[in-house]
Amino acid sequence: MPDVILKNLPFLLKGLWTTVELTLWTIIFGTILGAVLGTARFVRIPVLGVLSTVFVEFIRGTPLLVVLLMTYFALPALLGYKASAYGAALLGFVLFIGAYIAEDFRSGLRSVRPSLIQAALATGLTRWQVLRFIIVPQAIRSTIPSVFNQYVRLLKFTSVASIIGVTELTGAALLVNARDFHPVTLLATVAVTYLVLCYALSLVGRALYARLVVKT
Amino acid sequence: MSDAPTIQIRDLHKSYGVTPVLRGCSMNVSRGEVVVVCGPSGSGKSTLIKCVNGLEPYQSGSIKVEGIEVGAKETNLPQLRARIGMVFQHFELYPHMSVLDNIALAQVHVLKRPRREANERAQQLLARVGLADKHAAMPVDLSGGQQQRVAIARALALDPQAILFDEPTSALDPEMIHEVLQVMSELAKDGMTMVVVSHEMGFARRVADRVVFMDAGKIVEDASSGEFFSTPRTPRAAEFLSKILSH
Repeated sequence: MPDVILKNLPFLLKGLWTTVELTLWTIIFGTILGAVLGTARFVRIPVLGVLSTVFVEFIRGTPLLVVLLMTYFALPALLGYKASAYGAALLGFVLFIGAYIAEDFRSGLRSVRPSLIQAALATGLTRWQVLRFIIVPQAIRSTIPSVFNQYVRLLKFTSVASIIGVTELTGAALLVNARDFHPVTLLATVAVTYLVLCYALSLVGRALYARLVVKT
Repeated sequence: MSDAPTIQIRDLHKSYGVTPVLRGCSMNVSRGEVVVVCGPSGSGKSTLIKCVNGLEPYQSGSIKVEGIEVGAKETNLPQLRARIGMVFQHFELYPHMSVLDNIALAQVHVLKRPRREANERAQQLLARVGLADKHAAMPVDLSGGQQQRVAIARALALDPQAILFDEPTSALDPEMIHEVLQVMSELAKDGMTMVVVSHEMGFARRVADRVVFMDAGKIVEDASSGEFFSTPRTPRAAEFLSKILSH
């Protein structure tokens, strides 16, 4: 292992851990947000359905960096609270990825055949029961590939958090580079690390899909 | 109450936008009666029976199921639907659930039966449709005929007052049609009230008490099965019969 990596290993590993942690928390909260927003749009819940549409379109038309700058500078100024870089990044990522997952989940919900929904209604189940027992379980299964695709994008996006001062993997490497100046080694190491993490994440997605996929 | 028809349809009108689908249909189905509804495609047969359990809304007229007006705002549709089973052309089993869970789901969540009781009932019904060993199978692993028999068991599990069949055999291979019609004939023999949209004229002749013939959104003929096949009253029905029976 090159000296510059060895010498700074604890610091870089801490950055890696921050990346992983940020990704995992965002996956959890972003997925919940996406599922709620996607469902609200699908069943056209009054007010909430319209709000989710506006939110999703807004986020999809805004660069990630701008979202992070908003959660770091604009929101705290507007609402009068003090944001940590990490908290602002987490919030920004959750909002950003949640909007995309909402769209994926909504298309998953819509992919359930109307005639199957009719058949479930015909047994006396209420609309909410049909949503819960028939539509959502199938939507979750069919959405796994696209949602994991979002997770992989997210993992790479977390590097943007370095710009607002979060010392995750990229941020840590940039700090080391500023002191020791080994850009090729450092950035190559960072790139390979992301590659390995992304590949592992997509393997999890594939395994999950293979287990849960509904054959029809 | 017991003399009132199980299903009573009066002057039913329905349209999709400006296209009329049902243009003043009236008919009764009494308890224990088996009625086959036939007619050319697009004549409104499926729409008619989907109006009966409120899957399709209608614009005017009236449908009463055991005296309860289907289209009334205060009608609890889920409750009403639980009393009328329905079997679909493409089976519509829940693909992510086992055969047993398909049959138990509404028992548990609509009738509030304890899970164990629901499973027992499901198992009984599977035996009745000749699929006792398939309880753990997933729908995709069954043939079309087997899936349709499970769908019939699913409808029966709610102890319905009547069952609606929407072209139950038209998506099946010829050799599977028989096994499904067999189950349906047994149901009829047991006294189940049935409304069957079907082109199975053999079944209509053997099993149905009455045949209703529809054309262009109207009930053109409503006769006892014997009468319908021997002396159709309208030229349109006679023409339909000669076409469908000639091959």
